[in-house]
Amino acid sequence: MSSNHSPLVEKDKLIQELGYDDHFHEHHHGDKYQTNFLTTYIFSQDHKMIARQFLMTGIFWAVVGAAMSIIFRLQLGYPDADLSWLKPVLGKWITVNDAGIGRLEPEFYYALVTMHGTIIVFFVLTAGLSGTFSNLLIPLQIGARDMASPFLNMLSYWFFFLSSVVMFYSLFLNTGPFSGGWTAYPPLSALPQASIGSGAGMTLWTVSLVLFVVSVLLGGMNYITTILNLRTKGMSMWRMPLTVWAFLVTAILGLLSFPVLASGFFLMLFDRSLGTSFYLSDIFINGQALDRIGGSPILYQHIFWFLGHPEVYIIILPAMGIVSEVLSVHARKPIFGYRAMVYSILAIAFLSFIVWAHHMFMSGVNPFISNFFVVFTLIIAVPSAVKVFNWISTLYGGNIRLNTPMLFCIGFVSMFISGGLTGIFLGNSAIDIQQHDTYFVVAHFHIVMGVAAFFGMFAGVYNWFPKMFGRFMNETLGKIHFWITMIGAYAVFGPMHYLGMAGVPRRYYRFDNFDAFKDFTDMNKFITIAAIITFFAQLLFVVNFFWSMYKGRKMTEQNPYGSNSLEWTTPIETGHGNWPEKIPTVQRWAYDYGKDNKEFIQQHVPLAEGEEHSSH
Amino acid sequence: MASDQTLQAHQGHENESVWMGAKEPFKASYGKLMMWYFLLSDAFTFAGFLIAYGTLRFSSPTWPVPDFVFSSLPGGIHHKPLIFVTFMTFVLIVSSVTMVRAVQEGHRYNKKGVVFWMLMTIFGGLCFLGCQAWEWTTLIGGEKMSILKNPFGTHVESGVYLEGDGHDIKPGDSFHAHQTYLIHQHNGEWMPLKYKTEAGEIKQQQFGPKAFGALFFFITGFHGFHVLSGVVFLLIIMINVASGVYVQRRNHYEMVEKIGLYWHFVDLVWVFVFLVFYLL
Amino acid sequence: MAHLNYEEGKKVVFRGFVLLGIVTLLEVMVALVGKGYIIHGFHLPRFIMYSLMIGMSLYKAYFIIFEFMHMRYEVPGLVRSVLMPTMLLIWAIIAFFYEGNTWYHWRKNVNDRPILELSGGVSNSNNTHHESGSHDGKEMQQETPANLPVDSNAVEKHH
Repeated sequence: MSSNHSPLVEKDKLIQELGYDDHFHEHHHGDKYQTNFLTTYIFSQDHKMIARQFLMTGIFWAVVGAAMSIIFRLQLGYPDADLSWLKPVLGKWITVNDAGIGRLEPEFYYALVTMHGTIIVFFVLTAGLSGTFSNLLIPLQIGARDMASPFLNMLSYWFFFLSSVVMFYSLFLNTGPFSGGWTAYPPLSALPQASIGSGAGMTLWTVSLVLFVVSVLLGGMNYITTILNLRTKGMSMWRMPLTVWAFLVTAILGLLSFPVLASGFFLMLFDRSLGTSFYLSDIFINGQALDRIGGSPILYQHIFWFLGHPEVYIIILPAMGIVSEVLSVHARKPIFGYRAMVYSILAIAFLSFIVWAHHMFMSGVNPFISNFFVVFTLIIAVPSAVKVFNWISTLYGGNIRLNTPMLFCIGFVSMFISGGLTGIFLGNSAIDIQQHDTYFVVAHFHIVMGVAAFFGMFAGVYNWFPKMFGRFMNETLGKIHFWITMIGAYAVFGPMHYLGMAGVPRRYYRFDNFDAFKDFTDMNKFITIAAIITFFAQLLFVVNFFWSMYKGRKMTEQNPYGSNSLEWTTPIETGHGNWPEKIPTVQRWAYDYGKDNKEFIQQHVPLAEGEEHSSH
Repeated sequence: MASDQTLQAHQGHENESVWMGAKEPFKASYGKLMMWYFLLSDAFTFAGFLIAYGTLRFSSPTWPVPDFVFSSLPGGIHHKPLIFVTFMTFVLIVSSVTMVRAVQEGHRYNKKGVVFWMLMTIFGGLCFLGCQAWEWTTLIGGEKMSILKNPFGTHVESGVYLEGDGHDIKPGDSFHAHQTYLIHQHNGEWMPLKYKTEAGEIKQQQFGPKAFGALFFFITGFHGFHVLSGVVFLLIIMINVASGVYVQRRNHYEMVEKIGLYWHFVDLVWVFVFLVFYLL
Repeated sequence: MAHLNYEEGKKVVFRGFVLLGIVTLLEVMVALVGKGYIIHGFHLPRFIMYSLMIGMSLYKAYFIIFEFMHMRYEVPGLVRSVLMPTMLLIWAIIAFFYEGNTWYHWRKNVNDRPILELSGGVSNSNNTHHESGSHDGKEMQQETPANLPVDSNAVEKHH
């Protein structure tokens, strides 16, 4: 064990008296795990370090993914602009003509769009969000020493890392990365000769994502068993913070949906490399019919979206959990409708498995079966609305601290409402005929699961940064970051609704040579400028993040926010095993704010005389 | 939903204190829980495959009758439908039974018993793999079925053959609708036979749905891969048992129990593979 | 874990072995009898045959999970947490198979089969085949051989 624990303060005495001795430190766990640089920082089995690894990798990918979006936004906003200055980065994907004007190759434009989606959806918002905060918060908030299996937890990160390396490598292929959209629909994905990125790029894409599935499964099994088996004394399921509930359900979703994706990918690999035709039928290439009959590309779409829809909730649920917790802490009020929040998470999780075909209304799904998918889809609005109203009710009458994490939480709620409303449009198969594959869809999912999930992530990072690094992030920079991002995100995606309503299709290389879309040139320019400004605001966050790691304001008290949950009972520099001696026992639920005229009562504080449990 | 259940369980079906923390609410160690949830996710992988199979089968106008396709036995015996695969199923059931015995001996801390029954299980697993190798060899080498070509076609109407294939069919043999046939190869050339339908039309045998062969080899192969990895893990764990590694552990022979769960799961998957490929 | 003593346990194992063996044999018998292999000319109705087979397979699965995998002796919470999620597959099966059936009906209406036929490996053309379910589209060529012959029983199979 490291010896730099802060001196015992009053609250630690409570742990000494009431805590629960698991004889953890009598064995030499700590020595085994953190003996040298390699075992402390690289192949660490400590959940807090693994969380930081996930976060760092996530930030790296977020910057890469966002930078890609800026490049293709430049193309869309200024199709005639000279991009030769990008040649040092993109190399042969920028062709410079005789007049010295550099143009982005259309093939690479598609590759950028594809990679942007893949990276942000899987690497940033799945691994970077749920991986980071599940690892950090589950053991700390349920009062566990570490994950159930620290070793598998480490493997989970390293499979993610391996998957990242493979995907990163594919960016530098001579034929470019995969370019058929992040959903990888066949035939572009199933036939290596279909497009330039469908060969080696697609192979690496598939390999990378199969490794990613392994990572998610290892992580998910660990989160579930940890939450079930390793809760500290008194931590019943109904006393867990909503973050932990969200991570639990997220892990269940991943465990059930990612294997199906894997089976879809295995069939895909066979189609690609061995000439089977699971996903292919009636295919013509260069006017030549292929001997690939009897399969169906829609089969892939079904399998993909059977994962794909739960994946959307894998992204948004952790953000919802984080927001619920942070909102309550900084509004100094118990979360409104705790049980309703839990039940709505469960309802959303259940529904997410039976609505997948609403992504495919226009790709030839039987219209009769579509009816069911429409109905199930629209039902999701109910638990989602329950959550939104509960967040708003939590804010109502609260003693709100408008610090950066809180701002991002409020931003999250705003984004979730705006994006959720357009979801109701798109869930109707009839309206979807008009909106399908237009910028309306792009705007919808970017706001509701892209920006909203990012806001949840930012709220989490700003809020738990002290727990991770012992220092605070800079508030001023944080607030600037928030306001630019908030306004910027609406400026980027708001106009897209209009474009989509007007029928502007997504994934087009340029619009100025279509008469119907010529009028939107200025709007596209506006979106591009807004995107660039928003992007630089994110760099502000990255600077803030790394600067604060070393130079930020030091954390001087254990519980800086006056928060109830158990992670703030650990020492400021939390060592391996989280609590230096005994584990605190839990006496109450996580949201006793403003009870009996006390601002907050931490979870390990026993009931005062005559006090009753808050009913929730 | 799984958590739905934890919830309900918590709300009163269970002893309240079980859920109050510092206890294992399911009275199972984290390792066993992980194995269960891993198997659950693996079940979804197989479900993905089998559902894909069903979907493609529904989308296909004909599908070969398994009783005709899987009717060979070692020693050049043909037209004994399903006998061989029934034997394979028995092998897997027996190996499952021996695995249960190994786990039971583990509960009694009988090291010798565990090793013996695990050895039997490994033997059963290898036997199954051997059978599968033979089955594949017959289909690929003998009947020339591959993931790309399925020579097992199905008649859509009754009729009379106009020529023979040198095996079972002679000119003048009649057949009825829904009957499955096999297109033979002579000197590496496919020889689809001509026949006359009841309506008097002259037609030629057609290849069966391509997806049949691809799905068969893919799914039984994926199952076989599970059996193989199961055998490898069984071997490792058996060696550990024999060398007394688990005696010192706090949870003793739980590892045997966990690999047992996996092994039974392989058997469980076979139940469904057997159902969809050989029975339906 | 087992709530049975050793001798009882052994008995259960033996019983399980016999039971699974018998059920497997029964399944095979249903398949063979039902499809007319044993008694010539005797066919079981498809619906009955398939229900029997699926029912017996589900019973086998139940037995393996509950006896061999010791699920019977686990606490109800664990049982439910493992088994309930598989219910999600019910809707998946319905929706996927319904889709497969739709593709089948749509494929009957595809009229450009001859182009596919050109590269269909072994050509087995030159026999006209009237597609009963298809629209007799004008562009449909006369010598159209259906690459995938339409099976009249397939329709029956799905309904």
